[in-house]
Amino acid sequence: MEKQSGYTWKLGMFVTIGLLLFIMAVYFIGKQQNLFGSTFHITSQFKTVSGLEVGNNVRFSGINVGTVEQIQLKNDSTVVVVLVMKEEVRKFIKTDATASIGSDGLMGDKVLTISPGAKSKKVIEDNGQIASVDGIEMHDIMKSVKKSVDNIGVISDEIAIFSHSMNNGNGALARLVKDDKMANSVSNTLSNLESGTKGFSENMEAAKSNFLFRGYFKKKEKEKKEKQEERKEKQEEAKKEKLEKQEARQEKQEEAKKAEEKQKQEEAKKAEAEKK
Amino acid sequence: MILNIKNTFAEIGETTIFAKRFFKEVFIPPYETREFLKQCYVIGYRSLPLVAITGFIMGLVLTLQSRPTLVKFGAESWLPGMVALSLIREIAPVITALICAGKISSGIGAELGSMKVTEQIDAMEVSAVNPYNYLVVTRVLACTLMVPILVFFADAIGIIGGYVGINIHGDVNFYRFLTQIVQSLEYLDLLPATLKTFFFGFFIGIIGCYKGFNASNGTESVGQAANSAVVTASLSIFIIDMVAVQITDLFF
Repeated sequence: MEKQSGYTWKLGMFVTIGLLLFIMAVYFIGKQQNLFGSTFHITSQFKTVSGLEVGNNVRFSGINVGTVEQIQLKNDSTVVVVLVMKEEVRKFIKTDATASIGSDGLMGDKVLTISPGAKSKKVIEDNGQIASVDGIEMHDIMKSVKKSVDNIGVISDEIAIFSHSMNNGNGALARLVKDDKMANSVSNTLSNLESGTKGFSENMEAAKSNFLFRGYFKKKEKEKKEKQEERKEKQEEAKKEKLEKQEARQEKQEEAKKAEEKQKQEEAKKAEAEKK
Repeated sequence: MILNIKNTFAEIGETTIFAKRFFKEVFIPPYETREFLKQCYVIGYRSLPLVAITGFIMGLVLTLQSRPTLVKFGAESWLPGMVALSLIREIAPVITALICAGKISSGIGAELGSMKVTEQIDAMEVSAVNPYNYLVVTRVLACTLMVPILVFFADAIGIIGGYVGINIHGDVNFYRFLTQIVQSLEYLDLLPATLKTFFFGFFIGIIGCYKGFNASNGTESVGQAANSAVVTASLSIFIIDMVAVQITDLFF
């Protein structure tokens, strides 16, 4: 009998631990699927669920709080989605919360996201219904992409016409770009303009020395000079102030250094005294 | 050639009859409880170190081997889930069953073979003890029940091995690692895998017993019995695995 009990307890331990591992696995997987523990249900109606499947996660504020339990077609344009969620989060979900379907990462599963509402303070009931927001569908994105591409097509057509008329047309721009004669006449015009403006400035100098305008120009020069002198005075004053401030700072810093050195010396002395 | 094929079929037929007799005699008293427990101890507890080591290594190696590919796709965070999934669904059951086929099936084959050759089985029959009930039923039943438990151990230890493997390259909290695994598992991963281990255990036991029980006279046939028990059991494990996976795939 003693010999038997020598291995039976080992066998018992082996079997117990093995079964315990299995039960733990079953429990944790079940917990993941919300089969155990208190839960509550929410329904929501969508036009399309875009590939959402039974068992997908439900997220509230980014936390996994439940799973999709059922997806049913109600009529040709309505799908009813039943969610099973942890009882603990019910108090945070109000009656005006909204459900939307998004995807988890680039290649990930679909995820049903519950977003909190703004006004309502009433906690949602078991089997209550919340509104839904249709998520961005791939074909919606493609639609807007198509619109932009169409616009780009129109633009490129116009650019093509423009460049064609630039190359082959007889308009002013086209001739400016292509025609040698045009370019020469433009540069001639520009040099004429240059000499014209030189003549104009000479005329102006002559006008200044004319007795009719002399008084006016003299007044202007006087005002200019006065302004410049005022500026100079101001700048000098500012420089002086700066210098004074800097001197004051330097003095302060030196004082502080001296004080520190004194303190250090005292401390060193104290330490030496303590050592002794 | 044709004789060879005929012999093979004859052996399959005889094994089937042998297995049928098992189901008949399981329910007929006397129940050899003490012998059954002893066989459970030998088959289950004694095989645990071997299974633990292989399970740990499989978990570790699987993690290290599949890491580079996942890193290439930027999906390194899927590593725990993937390793646990492949361990629980396929690798732990098959590896454990193969180890058991090597250890248990050959042991049973050699033991019963030598008993047959030394005419101990005949002696039992003479002394009014049903040798089938005492020797075969207890061993097969113990195998059928112990192999799944060994697989649970292999699963758990393999996951720990995977944790070690992940921590060689990065730093992952054990709790985070476990949550990732649990998140990626479903009942569908666990239950079919567990069900097929019962079949693995049954076939390991029944093939070992059949080979031993039908050893022809002569000492060399003991070695032959042990050898062919291992080969046939290993082969049958792969065939059962294929069938089981196909059936699971069909229904789910």
